[in-house]
Amino acid sequence: MKKLSLIFLLLASISVYAQQGSLKGKVITDKNELLEGVNVVVSGTQYGAATLSDGSFEIKNLPFGNYSLEISLIGYSKKKINIDFNSATKPLIIVLTEEPIQARQIVVSATKYEQRIQDLPVSTTIIQPDFIDKNNYLTFDEMLQNVPGVQMNLEQPSIRGSSGYSKGTGARVLVAVNGIPMYSGDTGDIVWELIPMADIERIEIIKGPASSLYGSSAIGGVINIITKSSVKNPITHFRTYFGTYDNPAYDIWKWNGNLRTFYGVELTHSNTVGNLAYTLSFKKFDNMSYRQNDYAKRYLGYVKLNYDFNQNDKLTFFADFLNMDRGNFLYWKDSRNALVPKDEDNGNTVESNRLFTGLIYHHHFNKNMFGEIKTSYYYTKFDGYGIELTESVANLFRNELMLNAVLSNEWITTVGVEASYSKVSSNIFMNPKFFGGGTYFQAEYKGIENLIANFGLRYDYMKLDTLNSANAFTPKAGLNYKLSKDFILRASVGTGFRAPTPSEVFTTVGVGGGIDVKQNPNLKSETSISFEAGARYDYSDDLSFDLALYQTEYNNFIEATLTKDAKIQFINLSKARIQGLEFTLDWRLIPGLIKISSGYNYMWARDLENNAPMKYRPRNVVNARLQYTPLPFEFEINFRYASRVEAIDEALTQPPLALVVDGDKRVPIYVTDISAGYNFLIGSVPAKVFLNAKNIFNYNYVEFIGNIAPIRNYSVSMEFFF
Amino acid sequence: MNGKINMRKVFFAVVIAVLISLIVGCDKGIEPEPANSTTPGVTGFSGTVTFVGSWPAGIKRTHLVVFKNLLKDSSDFFPPNLSFVIDSIPNGSSKFTYNSVDNNFISIFKIAPGDYQYIVVAQSKTPTLSLARKDWFIVGVYCIGNNQSQPATMTIQDGKMTTGVDVKVDFSNPPPQPPGG
Repeated sequence: MKKLSLIFLLLASISVYAQQGSLKGKVITDKNELLEGVNVVVSGTQYGAATLSDGSFEIKNLPFGNYSLEISLIGYSKKKINIDFNSATKPLIIVLTEEPIQARQIVVSATKYEQRIQDLPVSTTIIQPDFIDKNNYLTFDEMLQNVPGVQMNLEQPSIRGSSGYSKGTGARVLVAVNGIPMYSGDTGDIVWELIPMADIERIEIIKGPASSLYGSSAIGGVINIITKSSVKNPITHFRTYFGTYDNPAYDIWKWNGNLRTFYGVELTHSNTVGNLAYTLSFKKFDNMSYRQNDYAKRYLGYVKLNYDFNQNDKLTFFADFLNMDRGNFLYWKDSRNALVPKDEDNGNTVESNRLFTGLIYHHHFNKNMFGEIKTSYYYTKFDGYGIELTESVANLFRNELMLNAVLSNEWITTVGVEASYSKVSSNIFMNPKFFGGGTYFQAEYKGIENLIANFGLRYDYMKLDTLNSANAFTPKAGLNYKLSKDFILRASVGTGFRAPTPSEVFTTVGVGGGIDVKQNPNLKSETSISFEAGARYDYSDDLSFDLALYQTEYNNFIEATLTKDAKIQFINLSKARIQGLEFTLDWRLIPGLIKISSGYNYMWARDLENNAPMKYRPRNVVNARLQYTPLPFEFEINFRYASRVEAIDEALTQPPLALVVDGDKRVPIYVTDISAGYNFLIGSVPAKVFLNAKNIFNYNYVEFIGNIAPIRNYSVSMEFFF
Repeated sequence: MNGKINMRKVFFAVVIAVLISLIVGCDKGIEPEPANSTTPGVTGFSGTVTFVGSWPAGIKRTHLVVFKNLLKDSSDFFPPNLSFVIDSIPNGSSKFTYNSVDNNFISIFKIAPGDYQYIVVAQSKTPTLSLARKDWFIVGVYCIGNNQSQPATMTIQDGKMTTGVDVKVDFSNPPPQPPGG
């Protein structure tokens, strides 16, 4: 009997072994993009296949049985799955998750042409868009808070202390989309809500003056947002989030018994039809806010078209429209009413419409030379409702022509010209016109082994309405020397300038009590000269360090001040010097599982004329990020510390003005955010869900006087990729 | 890299992160000011300015001005040392009664509790308000007795009205002029 059983089992196993079939499937990303060239290998066998352009694979003549599959592609986390392969096995859908790009692979184009990040002579940080999604940053500027060396003063960015705070009057960091500057024609400020978050490929942050390439406003650095490239197959992305603010830390701060919520809904569709690729996106995002009269209701529409005429000619067009209705909270009533605005500001609102469009024509003359024409138009309109109605309409046109040529193995050159024109119509900025023209040249020399030398010069001409015209020359030079493949030294000197905006020159508005803001036709451009020396060391593929020492001297800083004729006026005020060091560390403790990113910035910022600290510049800032990704789960902790700022606008907090009661209250900043996510499939649709808790210890701090930063809040976000 | 070392690193990193978070998490940051135990009243001052003699010609504005400290140079004739300005006194007046609530010329200025060392009546020939010392001439000082070279200190208390801040202007006997004029 035992013998018979054994023979039966043996026959049965031979019979099973003899059955075979084709194992089919498809490999996609967690954003439903089809992946080509993925290796799908049956562990311990000779069987395997690579995916085709539509992401499909087929392993033929595979005997039925239990197997372990290994799926791998460079740039993606390796995956192992166990399968029971039989005649009933359905085609597999395998999702691979992108691994964070290693520094050595990163290409940067903020320098007007693509360079590897390790070849740059200046400090540069790259942000991947998943950093925004996973942490559910509601607006772009909220994300920037967690970038080493970048500080936000309310909505104004400051790179290594480049800016203090002056509401709505000119940024000292240039923000660009695909290299096209995005500052408004009247106030020169940045509207972060306008940035198309759904179409971001990467964010490049150049720390240090970049006026030699971008002209005015790049005095403190550049934040260049690169949008995604064309998709190969249609993808629809739906993202939504909902959140609520917790109770304030003190009962006395409760001003409203309702749940204070925020939510957003975003639908984006991308596809390619023939030579035309397109992306359409619509977003609605509202925020009741934790503060009174601080609500925001916003609609954002975005369209991008890419047309490939042939291999050498491409055309990109994008348009971005934002409608916003928001309260206007600037200062608290007092520290006992920290979430309530001053009585006279309560009820003030702003309605605005903005349209930002860009057209980029890219032509390759040959393999060593390409040119680009960039045209943009930025329309802004706002109506401020308060004691007085303030209104402004600005139209800004900008054109740029750029040529890049690889002259030899040693030389790469870039030249360009640009012109911009803006017209403002406003009851507070008058009706000025602005014309600006610039031309630039930069060259990169690689003729000495391991050394890359870079130098450039830009000339700008500016004419603001009836004011005398102004000129600016902004040279730069930089060196990058590779002591070894892993150890890179860099040094640079750069100059920057910022032309006064129409709002700084022409604002005329009464602020009450016989005090008026008055225009200043004699306002000059701010200028700066900056030095940096740095080193980057890649101990391994998983551990790298970067250290930078920097110094920037500013002249003719533009600041609003009370003048002797009892007017508030923007004037060229002080000479200033900022010195500091920045250290960053990226460490994958366990590749693909645990990663730590951290940065420390020490800054010594002095007003040289008054021998005093500069306003709103913390001396010490620490950023730390810990990621734990046991896929399909993801966890993250972000921590930020900034020391108490030494100087603030004391004229606003001290008698006799005492405009901001208790305005001198300020503390060091400690903020901890956490997130937890889960990646899964609904049928064949990749989906993600993330839970976020921001400011988990409900720590109360200000970034600007009398203006409490967001209190503890919780949110859940979901994403689906059809 | 073996698994044991990895786990140590993980443990180390998590412990540091948790410790930092806990340490800083104990502090709530900015706190509200304690409630004022006294019934809030009006904070300010009041008094009378009297004029003796003939008004000079060409005067465009006459104000009672409060300074935190004595004027040592021209820059002191400016906020924050310049702390309060009373409405312009009509030309030719012989007596002007004021209080800081109803006669606050620069409405965004507020008088804060504390001591103020120099309260003067000053005249200017500029048609619009100027905060430059050179544009002003001091014609009367809130002083001890009648000695205009000895300015009296005005004390403002929270929630109280300081009364009797009287200044006598004798156009034929002007006080010593502070520096910067």
